[in-house]
Amino acid sequence: MMVIAQFAAITFYIAAAGLAAMPFARRVKAPVKAVILVLAGGVLSHGIGLVSLALESGSGSLTGLGPALSFAGFVLAVALLLVEVFAREVSLTLIAAPLAALVTIAGNITGLHPFLDPQGTQAFWLVSHIVLSFVGMAAYATAAAAGTMYLIARHELKSARFGAIYRFFPPLDTLDRVNHVASVAGFLGLTTGLALAGAYSITYHKIVVPQLVWGLGAWVCIGALALGRLLRGWQARRAAIVSTLTFASVMAVYIVFRVVAFNRGQFL
Amino acid sequence: MSLLVVGVNHRTAPIEIREKICFGKADARQALRDLRESGAASEAVMLSTCNRTEIYVVDRDDESIAPVRDLLSSRLGEDVSAYTYVHRDRDAVRHLYSVSSGIDSMILGEAQIHGQVRDAWEDSREESGAALNRLFQSSLLVGSRVREETGIGRGAASVSSAAVQLSKKIFGSLSGRRAMVLGAGDVAAIALECLRKEGVRVAIVANRTYERAQALAVEHQAVAMHYDECWTNLHSVDILLCSTASPRTIVEIGHVAPALEARGDRPLCILDIALPRDVEANVGELDNVFLYDLDDLKAAAAANLERRSEDVPAAEKIVGSEVDKYWQWLSGLAAVPVVTEFRAHMDRLRADELASALRKIGGLNEQQAEGIEHFSRALMNKFLHEPSVRLKSAAANGRGLGVIDVARYLFAMDGETKKEKDGEG
Repeated sequence: MMVIAQFAAITFYIAAAGLAAMPFARRVKAPVKAVILVLAGGVLSHGIGLVSLALESGSGSLTGLGPALSFAGFVLAVALLLVEVFAREVSLTLIAAPLAALVTIAGNITGLHPFLDPQGTQAFWLVSHIVLSFVGMAAYATAAAAGTMYLIARHELKSARFGAIYRFFPPLDTLDRVNHVASVAGFLGLTTGLALAGAYSITYHKIVVPQLVWGLGAWVCIGALALGRLLRGWQARRAAIVSTLTFASVMAVYIVFRVVAFNRGQFL
Repeated sequence: MSLLVVGVNHRTAPIEIREKICFGKADARQALRDLRESGAASEAVMLSTCNRTEIYVVDRDDESIAPVRDLLSSRLGEDVSAYTYVHRDRDAVRHLYSVSSGIDSMILGEAQIHGQVRDAWEDSREESGAALNRLFQSSLLVGSRVREETGIGRGAASVSSAAVQLSKKIFGSLSGRRAMVLGAGDVAAIALECLRKEGVRVAIVANRTYERAQALAVEHQAVAMHYDECWTNLHSVDILLCSTASPRTIVEIGHVAPALEARGDRPLCILDIALPRDVEANVGELDNVFLYDLDDLKAAAAANLERRSEDVPAAEKIVGSEVDKYWQWLSGLAAVPVVTEFRAHMDRLRADELASALRKIGGLNEQQAEGIEHFSRALMNKFLHEPSVRLKSAAANGRGLGVIDVARYLFAMDGETKKEKDGEG
C-alpha cells in the first residue's frame, strides 16, 4: 500500500508537470484545472503513503533519510498546490513538480525505513520539528523556483524575445509575489522548526553537528532573503537572484554533507 | 433560390476606392430597400466597414449580380467591376463565416469584425428574411466558436495592444499603475487610451509646449508639465510612454538612473513609440528598466500574427463543417415551398380530370360522386407520398437544391413560375 501510494504520487507529479508543459509542445493554454486536479491526486496519494508508513513504523517514521526525503517531496507538492489554487497559475509546476517527484524518488530509493524510534513526547517533539522544518524548506524551494522563473522570464523580456517563455510564463509581478510569500513562509517554518530542534537537542542531549550546521546555514540564507524583502525592500531581480543562489547553495552543501556524513541512514 | 455576395475588400481594392464605396447606416438601408423593391433580391444585408463593403442577397433567378454591381458602381462613381468579387451559395456562406471569424480580416483573427457583422445584420433587419437571418445569426456563432476553439484571436496583433500586453507581462494587472506620457500627439493619445482601458492611471503628461500637454492632461485628469520638470517625477510612475516628434533622443540615462534609485527594485516599463526614437538605447541596459521601441512592439505583434496564421487550417475546418450545417438547413427550407407547390399542381390536375370524368360518366348521385372524389384523393396521396418524403429527405441530407431543380423541371413547375412572373408584369 505504502509503496503503491508513493509510486502513484510520483506518477501524478510527473503527469502534472507534463500537463503544465503542454503549451510548449502544442499551442494551447495550459489546462489549469487538470493540472491542479492531477497534482491534488499526487498529494492525496502521497499523504496516504506517508500515513501508511507512519502506521507501519510508529510515530518516529519521518526520522530516516528515505522518509524525510519523501516527506520533503510531499510538503513541496502541497506548497505548489496552494500556490496554484490561489494564483490560478500552473507554470510553477514545470519546476516544482519534477523536483517533488525527484525528491520522492530519492526517498524511495534510499529506503523508507525510520532511523530513530522515539516514543511519547519525544516523538511528538521530533516529528513537529521535522514537519515544520520541511514546510520551511518546501516554501524556500517554492521561492527559489519562482525566483528562477523570474530570472528566465526577465531575460526574455529584456531581450525582447517573444517565444514560448514570453507567452506561457506568468507576469514578473506574479512570480515576484510568489517569491515574497514563499520566502516569508519559509523563514517562519524554518525558524520554528529549528527552535524545536534546538529545544529537542538540549532536552534529550542529542546534537548532530552536520544537521546543526546545515540547518543554521539554511536558516541564515532564508532569513537574509525574507528580512531583505521585508525590511530592505528587496524585490524583483535582487530577490530572485538571492533566493535562487542561496537555495542552490543550501542544496549543494546538503549534498556535500551527505557524501561525508557519518549517519548514513539519517537525513543528515 | 440562390445566395449571393458581391463585394470589395482590402484585398481587391485600395483604400481610396474602399472609402468611396463605404456606406453609412441610413444609406445602406435605403440602398437595400431599393434593391428589394426593384425585384433584384428577395432578401438583402449590407456589411460595410473600413476594410470591406459586401452585399449579401437572396435571389430567385441568378440575375442579381448586375443590379448589385450597379449599386456599388453608382456609389463609387465609376465601374466597380475591376474591384469586386462574387461568391455564390456555399461559397457565399463560407465567405461570411470566414469574415465573421476574422480569417478574412486584414489583421488575421481581429475581433472587431464580429461586432460589425452583428451590427450590419441588425441594421439590415427590415430587408432581411429567413435565409439571411439564419446565415448572419449562424455566422456570429461560427465566429465565436472559431475564437474559442482555435488560437486565431490570441495575442496582441497591433502595436498599441502589443504595448499593453508587454506591460501586463511585467506588472500583471495594470489596474492602478501610473503612467507618464512624453508628447501630446494623436499617436500618444491612441496608445494612452489602450492603457487607460486596462486601468492605467495617466498621472503626468509632459510636452515641449505646455498648452498641448495641458489639453491631453485635462482629458485624462493628469498633471501637465514641460519636459524639464518631468524627470523629478519619473520615480513615481510605472510606465513611461514616449511619443514625441523630436528629431533626437530626449530620454537619457542621466534622467532615468536617479529615478530608478528612488524606485528601489520596482521595474520601470518604457514604451518608445516615437520615430525617430525618444529614448537612448543604453537606457534599456539599466537594471529593472524594460525598454521597448516601435520595432520591438511590431515584432511582438508579428510573432502573435504568425502564431495566429498557424491556426487558420483549424479555423477553416470549423467553418467548413458549419457551412454544411447551414446548407442542409437552407436546402430543407427551399424544399418546403416546392413540395407544397408540387402537391397543389397535382391536386389541380386531379380535380380537372375528376370533373371531366364525372361529366363523361353522368347520372351519379352525390354519395357516388363523393366516393369517386375520395378515391381520386386517396390515389393521389398514395402516388405523392413517396416523392414528397424523398424530396424532404434529400433536402435534409443537403442534396435538396439539386433534387428540387430536377423536380421543378420534371413537373414543369419552372415554366409555371416563369409564366406567373410574366403575368405579374
